[in-house]
Amino acid sequence: MKGIKLAYNYLRIGILNEFQYRANLYIQILQTFIALATGLIGLNLVFSQTTALGGWSKPELLAVMGVFTLIGGIIRAAIQPNMERLMEEIREGTLDYALTKPADAQLLISVREFRLWQIVDIITGFVVLAVALSQLNWLIDLWSVLGFLSALVMGSMMIYSFWLIITSTAFWFIRVQEIANLFEGLYAAGRWPIDIYPNWLRYGLTFLVPVAFAISVPSQALTGRLTLETWFGALAFTVFLFLFARGILKLGLKSYSGASA
Amino acid sequence: MTSAISLQKLAKHYQVPEREAGLKAAAKGLFKRQYKNVKAVDEISFDIQSGEVVGFLGPNGAGKTTTLKMLSGLLHPTSGTASVLDFEPARRSHDFLRQITLVMGNRNQLSWDLPALDSFDLQRAIYSIPTDEFKKTRDEFIEILELKDLVQKPIRNLSLGERMKMEIVGALLHKPKILFLDEPTLGLDVTMQKRIRTFVAEYNKRYGATVLLTSHYMADVEALCKRIIVIHHGKLLFDGNLSQLAEKFSAFKTIGFTLENPATDLSQFGEVVSTDGSRIVMRVPKEKTSAVTSRLLNDLAVDDLTVEAAPIEDVIESVFAVKKEAVE
Repeated sequence: MKGIKLAYNYLRIGILNEFQYRANLYIQILQTFIALATGLIGLNLVFSQTTALGGWSKPELLAVMGVFTLIGGIIRAAIQPNMERLMEEIREGTLDYALTKPADAQLLISVREFRLWQIVDIITGFVVLAVALSQLNWLIDLWSVLGFLSALVMGSMMIYSFWLIITSTAFWFIRVQEIANLFEGLYAAGRWPIDIYPNWLRYGLTFLVPVAFAISVPSQALTGRLTLETWFGALAFTVFLFLFARGILKLGLKSYSGASA
Repeated sequence: MTSAISLQKLAKHYQVPEREAGLKAAAKGLFKRQYKNVKAVDEISFDIQSGEVVGFLGPNGAGKTTTLKMLSGLLHPTSGTASVLDFEPARRSHDFLRQITLVMGNRNQLSWDLPALDSFDLQRAIYSIPTDEFKKTRDEFIEILELKDLVQKPIRNLSLGERMKMEIVGALLHKPKILFLDEPTLGLDVTMQKRIRTFVAEYNKRYGATVLLTSHYMADVEALCKRIIVIHHGKLLFDGNLSQLAEKFSAFKTIGFTLENPATDLSQFGEVVSTDGSRIVMRVPKEKTSAVTSRLLNDLAVDDLTVEAAPIEDVIESVFAVKKEAVE
């Protein structure tokens, strides 16, 4: 309960902060628009040559693009800024103030930053998704909605845990910004559904960077492809990744020495 | 009365990578790193009673900040034990953290772009302070530090001193019982330093809080602390009151007097520190003070002669000049 209250208060501060920089809203709208346009052009180019890609039709791939944009927005709004701040604070030894607070350290370092204007991406993601679903003549059924929403939460948790693991290695390696940049490149691979990639890459993406789970599983839920086994697999993997990330962070905090003075 | 803070042979050692300058050494370091064991804090022990204000002194790199960080639960000690309000700090229990605060003069915790009031609200949430109590404390602190007109301005628009005052309010809103203040007056002008000192003294009096303060400004220490703990090269060098410190470490005393003929050559008596018209201040070795004083009175026409302990800055300087070998 206290955790939710605390997260809410940080969210409030984050939003207040963002209102100080209104120009960012316009830049964000522009960025989202460009990303969306390039995505759509790419999709149309592919489908001017073929009618299906790895068993996925055009509206289905549009749905994947929607999920990709949506989760990308969540990452950039809530996950990435917190992880970047943590990385910075570990390197400069300024994590002190966060660690002297009577609150769970993981919770605190995970909710301190919020980029409100990324909400443009999240909304756009939902709109693209809605368009795709209408093209698919999708009938709203409770199970696929639940499947989709739970997959979305699990996907975000996986990506959060993955980021946290990478970031926590900064306690030992100090400079991990490059590894973090690598993530963005890998995330871009999530633009296409996981089953169009060759096997070796598919497993790499799934287990090294949970991009596949994060984007493909929600998309599978919407397009009626999600099996119960995959869902439980995703759940188990989410729990495992979360606990693992928590363990690594705890170890890291123990060895945190803070840049002196 | 039980101790608020207690250290038993507390030590912190760091493994610091070390290499010679140059490309070759750097390349070698890629494969095999040389480490040096640095004893930042080397088995120090002391007790601080509840309600005491203690000055924690030492030159840069003496181990002050490391000690404060161990006491506030940020660093795990290499060996020895620390106990603060009967808690083991490194466990970072929430009950412990709720009762302490750490203020660092060179770091900010308030949100840069927002007015302090918003950041204060966040502190309320973090420490779960009941709203009424929070408002009362906040307004009281704002009034004492005369911040009323500033709390609605973004922190970035405040001066360094104003910002520090805000930081202190933010750090004390939960009314901690233990204050770790690491250079709280760093870089501030004299008036602002004084304002912050008065506030700390007032807080200590009002809430009976225990304060451990490091500062490079002796005025802070003289005004606030009856007791001084000096560490140097990670070792405890002195623990006692200020006058004892001067007694132990100062090799000199100052003699001030008025001379009828200021042109007189005084080199045979000692070193002249300052001359202001006919008023002269000299520095003489402690053991020669009485001999020099009687000679001055006999040989010259002097008036208003005073003998004083060396100024605290000079004492500290001689303490800090102690070599590492001498500490061990």
